[in-house]
Amino acid sequence: MTNPITRDRLHFEDLETGTSMDLGQIQVSKKMIVEFAREFDPFPFHLDEKAARESLLGGLSASGWQTAALCLRLLVDEFLSKVASMGGLGFSSLKWRRPLMVNDHICASATIAELRRSLSHPEWGIITLDIVVKNQKGQTVMTMTLSNLVEVRNPAIPHRTPQGEMI
Amino acid sequence: MTRWYEDIPVGHVLELGSHRFEQDEIIRFATRYDPQYFHIDPAAAAHSHFDGLIASGWHTVCVGHRLMVDALFAEEERLLAEGKQPGVSGPSPGVNKMEFKAPVHPGDTVTFQLLINGKRESNSLPGWGLLYSRISGTNQHGELVYAADLVGFSKLRDFTPPLRLRLRQALLRIPLLNRLIRK
Repeated sequence: MTNPITRDRLHFEDLETGTSMDLGQIQVSKKMIVEFAREFDPFPFHLDEKAARESLLGGLSASGWQTAALCLRLLVDEFLSKVASMGGLGFSSLKWRRPLMVNDHICASATIAELRRSLSHPEWGIITLDIVVKNQKGQTVMTMTLSNLVEVRNPAIPHRTPQGEMI
Repeated sequence: MTRWYEDIPVGHVLELGSHRFEQDEIIRFATRYDPQYFHIDPAAAAHSHFDGLIASGWHTVCVGHRLMVDALFAEEERLLAEGKQPGVSGPSPGVNKMEFKAPVHPGDTVTFQLLINGKRESNSLPGWGLLYSRISGTNQHGELVYAADLVGFSKLRDFTPPLRLRLRQALLRIPLLNRLIRK
């Protein structure tokens, strides 16, 4: 049965390994940092400028989870809302390499690292994306590898891997 | 953890409490961070393979993190009330693996738990230890909703810096030498 919401979006068969995407950028304000921290990560160095100045980082910094969530937003706007996404499977090797300080920008990019078909569900494709988040100075803030399910348009047709294998 | 590295036993389990995910907050979180149709639009979500609205996996992760922070603060208060000096936890370098195992629907209650898997002293940060832990969430039917392998720093209580490090710290207290050493 065709899903009317995703019918005209890119499907698994339309995607190609190695494709790189610029996901755009967002500036992180003090209001955004404090709002997120109050709800999900209420450490003083994410909430209060004075406490933050006296902390290890010397200033107000965003929760690492906020960096991840904002990066996800960029990924949804630029990519996941244009493909027949079936939801995330998770991620691996998430590394917070540098703090995101107040008024910093995050600039994200994604590369399709792998495309494979689910062995148990022929209508499911699995996309793996390598994601890099940099600040306005070009310094890497966060990296991760994310996996997401994508609808397969023709589950009856086997998928040929880059190695020539049929799945 | 607000306990010293030495006081955190491997195998230790910290119960983090529960959270009921209401439709309003599922939509509010997703509208900001994960606006895919099956997280923000109940009618459209009915066409997805989830047969209805589900919470963003990242929403579950963020709520789990909040409950973990609350548990750490509560333990700090308890130790202070007992007249003990709480330990110091440091920044997290990252997450090795996070798996979304089952969807969270509106009205589901997720119970969160933290298990200390392993620990070792840090090679790069003298005086600190690395804690490996697994955070997980289980719904009201006993199904695992998500699980993640976390890494975090925790300070050592009993740490005597090696002679070389103590010498360097002593020399750094002399202003002129400080400038030379830091160059």
